[in-house]
Amino acid sequence: MGGLVKLLDTEMVRLAVGLVLALGFVVFNALILTWMERKVAGHMQLRIGPKEVGPFGLIQPLADATKLLGKEILIPKAVDKTLYYLAPILIFIPVIVAFVVIPFDSYLLVKDINVGIVVILAFSSFTVLSILLGGWGSNNKYALIGAIRSVAQNVAYEIPLLLALLSIVMMSGSLSLKTIVEAQKGLWYVFVQPVAFIIYFIASIAETNRTPFDLPEAESELVAGYHTEYSGMMFALFFLAEYTNMFIVSSIAVTFFLGGYNGPFFPGFIWFLAKVYFLVFVIMWFRWTYPRVRFDQLLNISWKALIPLAFLNLLVTGGLLKL
Amino acid sequence: MTVGEIIFFFTVFVTMIGALAAVLARSIVHALLGLITTMFGIAGLYVYLNSTFLAMMEMLVYVGAISILIAFAIMLLGSYSGMSGNLRAVGKLTLAGGTAVVSVYIFFKFVLTNMNPLSFAKYLVTTKDIGRVFTENLVLPFELISLLLVVAIIGAVMLAIIARNVK
Repeated sequence: MGGLVKLLDTEMVRLAVGLVLALGFVVFNALILTWMERKVAGHMQLRIGPKEVGPFGLIQPLADATKLLGKEILIPKAVDKTLYYLAPILIFIPVIVAFVVIPFDSYLLVKDINVGIVVILAFSSFTVLSILLGGWGSNNKYALIGAIRSVAQNVAYEIPLLLALLSIVMMSGSLSLKTIVEAQKGLWYVFVQPVAFIIYFIASIAETNRTPFDLPEAESELVAGYHTEYSGMMFALFFLAEYTNMFIVSSIAVTFFLGGYNGPFFPGFIWFLAKVYFLVFVIMWFRWTYPRVRFDQLLNISWKALIPLAFLNLLVTGGLLKL
Repeated sequence: MTVGEIIFFFTVFVTMIGALAAVLARSIVHALLGLITTMFGIAGLYVYLNSTFLAMMEMLVYVGAISILIAFAIMLLGSYSGMSGNLRAVGKLTLAGGTAVVSVYIFFKFVLTNMNPLSFAKYLVTTKDIGRVFTENLVLPFELISLLLVVAIIGAVMLAIIARNVK
């Protein structure tokens, strides 16, 4: 018995258990979010949304998932097989890595890496890469245009996103997510750095390819964008990754600006999840309220407004910290 | 063989496979994929040398930015797979052989004699250490690099303005 406890305590086992839990959570989260998205969309358009399957339509996502699993995977003849198969797998790497460092609670954390936020940001580049490979490998014009748009967009919005987070890193003097949360015990950084929060939130919506910045998959012009040629479970993997990315960008926002798991009365992880799902709700709210921007507008927002503003914010933060 | 050694050799193996794929692939996108694999492997080696920050920067800059820009350029220009310039087989072999000889020479002459990689692994290189080195000992080269980047940005903007005026 003692040996077993010792085994469970080792780093490797902790990592393995954490990854399995993370995978489970990814699927569970996607089920919740698809239901939530349809409900939010329904109510915003004065409809009811799903309601037949289970109470409040809660079992609807399970039915959808079963349908997706049962679908035949169609592979067009002209695809580049290596890239085509690799893309949906690659898109999952950043998703899983992010769950290793996100602190759900002061103890609910797989591994507190001292460069935690850099780990998430570094691995998030795999998302763009897999969109690119999928779009190219599909050998389809719509998919390729979607992929090219996605790259231009992600390169443009990664800069303000990094700069906004950097101002928080400068204030807390740490890159570890847990230390940043601990530093917000008294005052949340959103009150000190409102500009950085707004910049981060806009940029993160663009990074996850959500409306109003969903040009890589603009269905009215590009069929389905970079995943046009994917079907069945392979499409579902892209879909899962998108919903999980929404969760991840929201949880970074909560960790950096909204005090993470800090909160009175309830246990930390309940506060954390409540804040994260509220931000996810705001992202959905955006989707059903704002029209899609044009591509030149999209790039102009980033290069001409967000980036200069983020630099200015960083400069002021640095100056004030020195005083 | 310890677990650490197995991980080390696996990382080296991945790096080598990526490098070979980058050189031997027929399609230029596959070659890029090989390059990315190599960079990923190098990041793994940095982790093995106990400098996580450097590894993450390798991923952020090389995998995240540079490879994606290369991919972007390939996609905008179209893939010319199978086309490899005007060089004949002899020219290619000479170039490849020459590069190999020079890099092996450099490796044995300088790298192997001056460095013992295991000596680095003993202490943890923190982000603070790196920042301190850049702002104290290496402040001049660091500022020169920023100057170079500013020049590059101004040059790019000028090129864009000239191109717009010509239209």
